[in-house]
Amino acid sequence: MRYRTSEVEAYRSEADALDGEIVQCIEQRNVPDFNDLALRILSHQLRYNEPYTKYAASLGVTVDAMPQDWQAIPPVPTPAYKEAALCTFDPSKAALTFETSGTTQGVGGKHYMESAALYDAALLSGFAHAMLRDVSRPLRYVLLVPNPSQRPQSSLGYMMRKVAEAYGDGREGWYLDGDALHIEQLLEDVRQARADDAAVCIAGTAFAFVNLLDELNARAIASLPLPPGSRIMETGGFKGRTRIVQRAELYAELGRLFSLPEHRIVAEYGMTELTSQYYDNVVSPSHDSARIKHSPPWLRPRVVGPDGKTLPPGVVGALVHVDLANRSSCIAIQTEDLGVAGADGGIILIGREKGAELRGCSLDAEELHAIARA
Amino acid sequence: MTALAQIPIHKITRAIAHAAERWSDADFPPRVRVTDRVTERTGYSIPAVEYALDRIFFSVTQADLEATIANELGSLDALNGFAPRARRPDAWAAPAGNVCVISSRTTIGVAIVPAIFALCAKNDVLVKDREDSLVHAFFQTLAQELDPFAAAARASTWASDDENAPELQTFDVVAAFGSDDTLAAIRNALAAGARFIGYGSRASAGYVTRETLGNAAALKALCRGAARDLVLYETEGCLSLHTLFVERGGALSLEAFGRMLSQSVEEANVEFPIARRHAADAASIAQQRNLAAFRAAAGHGAVFASERGEYAIIVDQAPSQPPHFLPRTLGIIGVDSPEDALQYVRTHALRLEGFALSDERNDVSRAALQAGAVRLTGFGELQHPPLSGNHGGHPRIAEFVRWIDRTL
Repeated sequence: MRYRTSEVEAYRSEADALDGEIVQCIEQRNVPDFNDLALRILSHQLRYNEPYTKYAASLGVTVDAMPQDWQAIPPVPTPAYKEAALCTFDPSKAALTFETSGTTQGVGGKHYMESAALYDAALLSGFAHAMLRDVSRPLRYVLLVPNPSQRPQSSLGYMMRKVAEAYGDGREGWYLDGDALHIEQLLEDVRQARADDAAVCIAGTAFAFVNLLDELNARAIASLPLPPGSRIMETGGFKGRTRIVQRAELYAELGRLFSLPEHRIVAEYGMTELTSQYYDNVVSPSHDSARIKHSPPWLRPRVVGPDGKTLPPGVVGALVHVDLANRSSCIAIQTEDLGVAGADGGIILIGREKGAELRGCSLDAEELHAIARA
Repeated sequence: MTALAQIPIHKITRAIAHAAERWSDADFPPRVRVTDRVTERTGYSIPAVEYALDRIFFSVTQADLEATIANELGSLDALNGFAPRARRPDAWAAPAGNVCVISSRTTIGVAIVPAIFALCAKNDVLVKDREDSLVHAFFQTLAQELDPFAAAARASTWASDDENAPELQTFDVVAAFGSDDTLAAIRNALAAGARFIGYGSRASAGYVTRETLGNAAALKALCRGAARDLVLYETEGCLSLHTLFVERGGALSLEAFGRMLSQSVEEANVEFPIARRHAADAASIAQQRNLAAFRAAAGHGAVFASERGEYAIIVDQAPSQPPHFLPRTLGIIGVDSPEDALQYVRTHALRLEGFALSDERNDVSRAALQAGAVRLTGFGELQHPPLSGNHGGHPRIAEFVRWIDRTL
């Protein structure tokens, strides 16, 4: 789209106002009227995000035919990010561009973000609330995620760099070189952290943790206790990997290795197409050990059936995420991930294999609990 | 000596055909019981299961069995002892010995036809049955027809890590259906001299020429057939229609053809109701449908689908995208010539079983052969492989015998 100067100014003014409002919600961890703000962001995107505008129009949603409820916002299927630049602005002017992992076709999608401030605010607030509520001094970050200097397109690498800068003790380390692990350096740094009595946060993908366990096993290292107050953030999964380990098994092994109680191992659930993240509620002092993913107030999940309608609690469906912090891209994202609506607005993620066995039917409480613990 | 070694082949084929005839009756009590169990196991609707059982058992006639054997082995008598052959030594197609048939997870009765031919070759046969015990129940009927089948034809279920699983090293021939990984694992477990017949993962495709697009009557029949090829067995079989090439420049646009096909799919959905859907499949179909709608909104292609996601016909699917391999979900790829179709098959490394052709245009048949298809047929016939055909490119009986020449 080409805009006249007055239109550009109008856009800038509207975008800045919305961003300011969203950042305020993030900082206060309170969204006074989610529905109202979500629909105003939708209206903004229907006027400035051309590919999304066309898609929404094909579903009968336009600025002149707006839904009344945030749950009726048309979600964009995640692969659409491979098809078009889904943003409200000129993507060449993006402050941040993150790429989704390639698929079997080897083509990744791009999530363009106009404002780094919005992204930073969302990720830092989400991380601090989920991971650091009981922390009184900066942690030392041990990072098993892509190093932004090597992979600037990785949202996970960017996120953890921001976290380490904001909440770290200034001595974070990056231990991944592609898929290779700098194990000797990691061992040395963990020992140093113990000597310094500096609690650490190890953040990594599930695959990287499996790699770490394999490396330690090869060195006959069965125990590597971390200083008190240490914790782990696990994210991602095993996409495209040949070796897959059940998450419960992985957490048990990590707990044994690092002498960490399992509630200090927190799973983060996010995706490149989102600005915000979900986290397990386990670090919360009142957790019941069930791994229910909770979102910050500006991110809401829906569990939907094939017709896109919200399913009742306890019924397995696909996850749709409505993320107010996606102001400059698409507010609603449809995924193929399976889940069940849990208590307090949380979600329980269900692996696709488990989901396949469920055959789309309701789960009883016992099944839900078993999955949530896994 | 095998349990059937002394039984004349005519007696064996007659008993098998008679058992199959009894199983062709939808009211035959063992079939009624098995139908329920197959429905429970697969989630397929009863009409789909009944259809599958009809296709299996109606095709097994004594005449067709014997014609297939005679054609492959030169004569039926070769199974009974040394038989003369023109300009070759007399030869006996003796039993290979112990045969194991390992059937796949989803399809119905896939082990029955190879088991039947292994029995015709007078082997002792063990089938890895599914939880529905279809093969076991059919073998019980065989034993009622002819006592030695009780010892020759056995079926049971086991898991690969089950301590009661048979030792694969003890078999002379193993025929297996499954994924490439499964087949590789089975093959590695066999004795060095054992014969392995693998039916790996394959896909099927169709091709509609621009000439056919101008023939309204042919097109209607084609759409009905293609719809049936798509919906039967929830697109899960190697003979299901997984991808469809349609030539551009015909009297009908791709979109108009897609609309016509979707109407036929709606009708086929009534005849063969949708199976119990896995949540993961439902989510994937919805995602593909929505992605196609996104592309359509941007001016690329179209999508015809039901709101509840029962099926999806995706028109002008990007050639970079592989087949969906999802229930009742079909991508129509626009092509200018059969070369484009061949390129698609090569790009996505598809191993083809069936290739449905809208007419007999030579360049299309040639491309289908170059693409590696092992069966060329018409639309509506993909899911009906003849008993006497070469499923997976294999002979029916030749791999179950051990030839002994006599030059005295």
